[in-house]
Amino acid sequence: MSTVLYGFFCVFLILTALVASEIEDILSSVISLSINGVLLAILFVILQAPDVALTQAVINSGLVTSLFLVAYSQTEKQDLRRGDDKK
Amino acid sequence: MIRLSYATAIMLFCIGLYTLMIKRNLFKTVIGLSLMEAAVLFLIITSGYIPGGNPPLLPLEGTSVNPLPQAFTLTAIVIGASDIALALAFIIKLHRRYGTVDLDKIRGLKG
Amino acid sequence: MKHPQAYLKAGAAFICLVLGWWLWQGAEAVQQASSLAGPAAHYVSNAARETGAANIVAAILFDYRGYDTLGEATVIFTTVTGIAMLFARSKYRKSSTGLSFIVKRGLSFIVPFIIMYAAGIVLTGHLTPGGGFQGGAVFATSTILFCIVYGSNFEASRIHPKAKEFTESAGAVLFTVTGLVGLVLGAGFLANASAGFPTGEAGHFLSGGTIPILNIAVGLKVGAGLSTIFYSMVKFLEVKVVAPVEGDET
Repeated sequence: MSTVLYGFFCVFLILTALVASEIEDILSSVISLSINGVLLAILFVILQAPDVALTQAVINSGLVTSLFLVAYSQTEKQDLRRGDDKK
Repeated sequence: MIRLSYATAIMLFCIGLYTLMIKRNLFKTVIGLSLMEAAVLFLIITSGYIPGGNPPLLPLEGTSVNPLPQAFTLTAIVIGASDIALALAFIIKLHRRYGTVDLDKIRGLKG
Repeated sequence: MKHPQAYLKAGAAFICLVLGWWLWQGAEAVQQASSLAGPAAHYVSNAARETGAANIVAAILFDYRGYDTLGEATVIFTTVTGIAMLFARSKYRKSSTGLSFIVKRGLSFIVPFIIMYAAGIVLTGHLTPGGGFQGGAVFATSTILFCIVYGSNFEASRIHPKAKEFTESAGAVLFTVTGLVGLVLGAGFLANASAGFPTGEAGHFLSGGTIPILNIAVGLKVGAGLSTIFYSMVKFLEVKVVAPVEGDET
């Protein structure tokens, strides 16, 4: 495993974290957090931990993202929809 | 490679902590918490890595990496997902009570 | 009010930088081990003989440190109870009708394979990477797909919430009873080989003593728990209805 490829993954990890924390739109932040989870699972495989990589990919990128989206649809999306309604 | 992982994990933790402290939106608070947990998981797994090791599965060829941090990390992933689910449930209830997810507005409205 | 906000941001950034520098000093001083030492060396070299499992991480989670796994299952149980309690009184319960016809038909072909995949991960947890937590999460993902594609009313009619509650409690009871068997026989709580469970030979399907039983228990618990969490949060998708659909207390 060359150091350059590993360094690329680590830099990508930090970039997605920065995007998730700085962007104002909640939907983009949540998708970026999900990409962060997938990259972390790839890094776990490189570090020879297949059990942990499977758990991380299923739980953090599948389940937690869907819970975020449910919470988003119950709160902010209704605010946005109410704000755009010109009734 | 190991030093690079430690540096990445520490930077991730600091980004998460900054997001947790500064942002006004409650969703950003939970995102910051999730980033901090991811950083800690990365740190734990890296501390158990032995260069040239194989996954801890039998039949084993050569040496294997340390299996104890991996067991801790499995527990930590599931518990982290549970507490993020509870935090999101609280956000939904807060929105229903106050009508907004903005922390400044919630602090301004008293009751 | 812009000035206090800028000072706050600068102060927080300073705290984060100082913390980062401090942590880096600590991480730099750690010497990376070049070979296993301590309990890890004992676990790696003796796991096949003492527990009969080929997956060393599963042997640590369910045999050597089984009590911690019971605590983790309790944490999941508490979270599910808390979330179900927060969303108990839903005055307006209305579910969506789901997505289009093509998506529904397409998903009906895939769902049996997803459930079989989850069962496979749970049952071979002592041989290959996998186990109760991973399989339970995949099963919960399939019920989430049901909720999204067909609507939450359909999903509740197919798998009743009471059935999920019963499954989760059954998983917890199975875990505890398996541990109590060891206690009754005088070998200690959650004992595996010393309580007489057949360990078999590492690499065979029927091996590992209590580890497959505990995997099934944890898989039931995690699957039912995560599914209940999602269903409680998504029970009513459109709050702003003109009149309450049904005023219920459940």
